[in-house]
Parts: sequence; structure tokens; C-alpha cells
Amino acid sequence: MSQGISLQPSRQLRRRYRAERRFKAYCVGALLLSIAFLVLFFSDMVRQGHSAFIQTEIQAEVTYNEDTVKFTNESVDESIAPLVSRAFFRSIPRRVDADPSLMGTTETLWLTATADVDQYRKKYSDRLEPEMQSTLERLESEGKVSYGFNKGLFTSGDSKIPSNAGLWSAFVGTFYVMLVVLAVSFPIGVATAIYLEEFAPDNRFTQGVEININNLAAVPSILFGLLGLAIFINFFGVPRSSALAGGLTLSLMTLPVIIISTRAALRAVPQNIRQGAQAVGASRWQAIRDHVLPLSLPGILTGTIIGVAQAMGETAPLLLIGMIAYIPDAPTSMTEAATVLPAQIFTWAGMPERAYVSLTAAGILVLLSLLITLNATAVILRNRFERRW
Amino acid sequence: MRTRDLTGDSTQVVRVPTMERPRVNQSTKMSVSDLAVWYGEKQALHGVSLDVYENEVTALIGPSGCGKSTFLRCLNRMNDLVPGVRIEGAVVFEDQNIYASEVDVVELRSHIGMVFQKPNPFPKSIYENIAYAPKILGQVRKRTDMDDLVERSLKRAGLWEEVKDRLDAPGLSLSGGQQQRLCIARAIAVSPSVLLMDEPCSALDPVATATVEQLIDELKENYTIVIVTHNLQQAARVAGYTAFFHLGNIVEFSDTDSLFTHPREKKTEDYITGRYG
Repeated sequence: MSQGISLQPSRQLRRRYRAERRFKAYCVGALLLSIAFLVLFFSDMVRQGHSAFIQTEIQAEVTYNEDTVKFTNESVDESIAPLVSRAFFRSIPRRVDADPSLMGTTETLWLTATADVDQYRKKYSDRLEPEMQSTLERLESEGKVSYGFNKGLFTSGDSKIPSNAGLWSAFVGTFYVMLVVLAVSFPIGVATAIYLEEFAPDNRFTQGVEININNLAAVPSILFGLLGLAIFINFFGVPRSSALAGGLTLSLMTLPVIIISTRAALRAVPQNIRQGAQAVGASRWQAIRDHVLPLSLPGILTGTIIGVAQAMGETAPLLLIGMIAYIPDAPTSMTEAATVLPAQIFTWAGMPERAYVSLTAAGILVLLSLLITLNATAVILRNRFERRW
Repeated sequence: MRTRDLTGDSTQVVRVPTMERPRVNQSTKMSVSDLAVWYGEKQALHGVSLDVYENEVTALIGPSGCGKSTFLRCLNRMNDLVPGVRIEGAVVFEDQNIYASEVDVVELRSHIGMVFQKPNPFPKSIYENIAYAPKILGQVRKRTDMDDLVERSLKRAGLWEEVKDRLDAPGLSLSGGQQQRLCIARAIAVSPSVLLMDEPCSALDPVATATVEQLIDELKENYTIVIVTHNLQQAARVAGYTAFFHLGNIVEFSDTDSLFTHPREKKTEDYITGRYG
């Protein structure tokens, strides 16, 4: 007698399927939630920040003569002058110095408006004196008001005049700091990793070193700031607030990242490549230099880029070594006071004027796009040069 | 016979221990005596002795874990790379014990080449795979000499006709059998006197295996070859002498014909007739 085997799902099997669907739904839910937060964050940043990339400009006639060089406000029509950014008037003596032939002439220019006018036009604020409101309306009807790209955001340093504030000094500071981070942590990190992975005997000491390096990657970054303050600034006398001090401090944070990723990249190179090289009479170092390192280079570079990107976004340790400061002029050397992008964002976020809210968001967008570019480079490098065995 | 100096200074003469030899009509190339190997606590070889004859193929057979690969890798000190390994005994090559403190392993390995189980060409071009070792060892300096050497090595490995038009192609683009022959060409490019092969055909298909076997047969004109193999037919086909390993000991060592036709030991007979192993 044949036994009746039913191929319909049993009740128990149906219960298992339900549990499976439930579990899948939780996972999808978690994913959607994180995507939602990300979208919310980005859209808010773009909403807040996009207006900082454009700026209200006013067309006006500028007169250069003996008087207006001294009393710069008089260079523009009396009624328009209050609408124009102070930063422009300050620049008049400089402009005349640079080009003396301007003296005694009049030219029509598009001038950056004050932050108040800009915010009023962008409808972030309605606090504008009635007199200025009517002037603005008159100018608008004459077609003498428009939006222009805010070049100053990328070409000028920090300023107490919001319409004049930009990221340039932070860019330069970031560049110097990253240069120091790379120069210090890349060679030291890679050399350490090569020693630990390829040469070091497997004993208590190296195991201890290994555990400590892994732990180092999890140390709160503020502690690295304290370390930097105590060692580099107080002990070695590196100038406070300088790109050198910041770079050295951030190197401490980047080192473990580079060491760990380099070791992983070296470990991924199959053992038989090393053996093959040594079997034909290559020394250990020749085998590493000629065969292992070229193969692991993409992995090492990826880890380095990610480590540097991490350091680029770091703010907490810089608090303690004085890099969160008002730096209007870009530093010209490693030892001058400097600031970096995230520190600039932090500074702007604390300013009372409404215009800095947009600037803060714009700064965040710029920093994020820089970091995304860096990380994308790392991913491309990895995919392009990855070797499959 | 040219004496090779492994130390860089004057040749040290080490007493060659006398030992039982199956047939003494050949000159001995390498002489292993009382070789014992431990991996940590575990002993892999229990004091084995064996003579490797010049311009002959010596096959090492035996079940998995019997120590034949360990033995092979002691002949060019590749086992030194294994963490926690301990080696006792002597391997005499060119009148010097290769485990003597003054012997340099990098120098030694340029005289005793090795081909691995899995083809492991360098991830570089075919040309560079061959040229790498002669270059770092300073054997060849001129580009034209190097071209000659690459051609000669590839011809000897029977690969020249297949790759002469694409020497710049990556070594990894070749088929498995071609890669293994490339590794053989790479090993012989530095003109070693002994060639160690660790199951060189186990990753190859029968056609590629036949090609490599034929190559081994040709190579013994110029080289002394020691080959580890799981394939008994292969041992019978290519080897003049065969050693049967079991549990870290050599059970029997003699010329291949007598080992396969009239084994002296019961264990050998069981293994080669497939009753055990």
C-alpha cells in the first residue's frame, strides 16, 4: 500500500513561512528607516544650504575720487549704499591701489548686497527697514537686482560679515592638515603593517601590539586631542592651532586605520606567491617588495583614503589644540594658525546671524561632497585593481 | 662535478654518512640522514634517510599525511617558513649540510628550485615571470641575454611555441597546464641543479599531465628531480627511484621497477595494490 505523501505545505511549514516573511519585513523596515533618515538629512541640508551658493547682487555706479577713497560709503548713491555689503566698501582703497587709473572715473558694477537684504529677498527674514525695502523695490523694478553665484564662498576666508564669509581658509587648512596626515601616517602605518604581517614572530609581544592597535581604532577621538595637546604642543612645542599640530594629532587617529587595512590587504595575497618568489631565490623583502606589495597596493590605498577621509571629518580632537578658531586669512605655512572644514562648520553653526545658518548648511554640503568624492575614489580603485584568485 | 659554495666563503666538507643504498651505480646528489621534523608538538618525520641520485627522477609516494611533502620541503628549507617548525638531522648537498648555520637559505634556494602543487605564476607578464629570478640574483644583466634566457627556459619547458607571440601577456592568463609549465620554466631559468616538484600535476587535466610528465622525462638529462606524487602510475612512468613513505618513515626505497614489481615490504605491496591508503 502506497503511503499518502502530501506535497501541500503542512500547517507547521506554513508557520515557518510566516516567520520568514515577518523576519524579512523587519529587515526591510530597518533599511527603509535608515534610508528615510538619510534622505531627510540630505534634503534638509540642500534646502537650507542651496541659497548660500547664490547671493543677491545690486547694480550700481561706483565713483572713485579723493573723497570716496576716504569715505568709501560715498562712492555709491546715498540711497543704495546701505544695501551694499560693507566688504565692498572696504575693498575700494585696495582696488584703487591696484589700478590707479580708476581714480576720477565712474564704473557700473554688480555689488554684493548686505546679508540683511539677501536674507529678506530669500524670504528667510522680514526684518528690513521700510526705507531700504522701498529702495529695493525700486531697484528691482529697474532690473538692477539679481542673484549671482556666490564666488566668495570658495574664494574668501571666514568673515564677521556674513555676505563675505567663505571656506577658502578652511580649504587651505584642510589641505595642509591632510598633507601632514598622509606624510606621517602612510609610511609609518604601512611599514608597521608589513613588519607585523610579514616579519614579526608570533609571540606574546606582537600579539599585545596587535590587540592594542585594534583597540586604538576604537578610542574616542577627543582623547587623541588631549594626547596631541600634551605631546605635540606642550612637550615638543609645535605651535598651537597650526596645521602641523592638527595633522600630527589626526595622524594618531589615522594610523590604526591604515595599519589594519594594510594588514588585511597583505593577508589577502595568497601564500603561494611568497613561496614561489622565495623558492626561486628571492629574499623575504624582495618577495614582499616585488610581488606582495604591488598586489596589495589597491587595498592599501583604499584603506589610506578612507582613513584620511575619516580624519578630514574629525572635529573633536581639534577643539583641544585650538584649531576651532576665527581664521579669516588662509595660512601660508604649516606652522601658522589654521582651521579645517568641519571646524569652520562648527564655528558658523554657533554664529547668531541668520545668514550663517545657510552658510553652515552650505559648508556641510561642500564637506560631504568632498568626502563622497574621496570614498568613491577608494571604491573605484578597489574595483579597478582588485585581483581575483 | 662543479662544487657550489652555499656560504660565500671556503667550502666546508661535511662527513657524508654511509647508509644503505638500493643500488650504487649512480653518484649521489643529495644525501639526507636522520631527518626529523616537528610541527609544534606533532612529529611529522621520524628520522628518515635517503639518497637522491644525480640526473635521476626520485618519486616520493605514500598516503596523505605520511610526510612526503614535508620531506620534500626540507630539501630546499621551505619548511623554515612554517611557524613553530623544528628540524633535526642533516641534508648534504654539494658536500655541505644545508642546515649548517653558515648556509644561507636564499643562496641555497637558487640552487635547488621548486615547483608547487598549485601553479603559482607571479601576477606579472610571462616574460617577467622567467626574468625575475635571474635579474634579482644578478645572473643576467643585458636585455639581449635575458631575451635569450627567457626563450631558452620556455623552450626547455615546452611552452615557447604556445606563448612566443604574447610574452607580455599576464602569466595568469594561461591555462592551468601552461601555468605549471611556466612555473617549471621559471624554476629552471636560474639553472638550479636540483628541481623539487610537489604534486605538480594534481591540479591539471590528463592532457596537461601527460605534457608535464614528458617534460620531466626530458629535464632529467640536465637536472636532478625529486617529485612528490599521489599518482602511482605517474611515479611508475617518470621516476627511476621511488620511496614509499608511511607515518613519517620511509618504508621502502629502491629503483621504481623493483618497488612496483617486487616490493620487499608488506605495507608497500598493500599500498601499491590499492588494498590500503
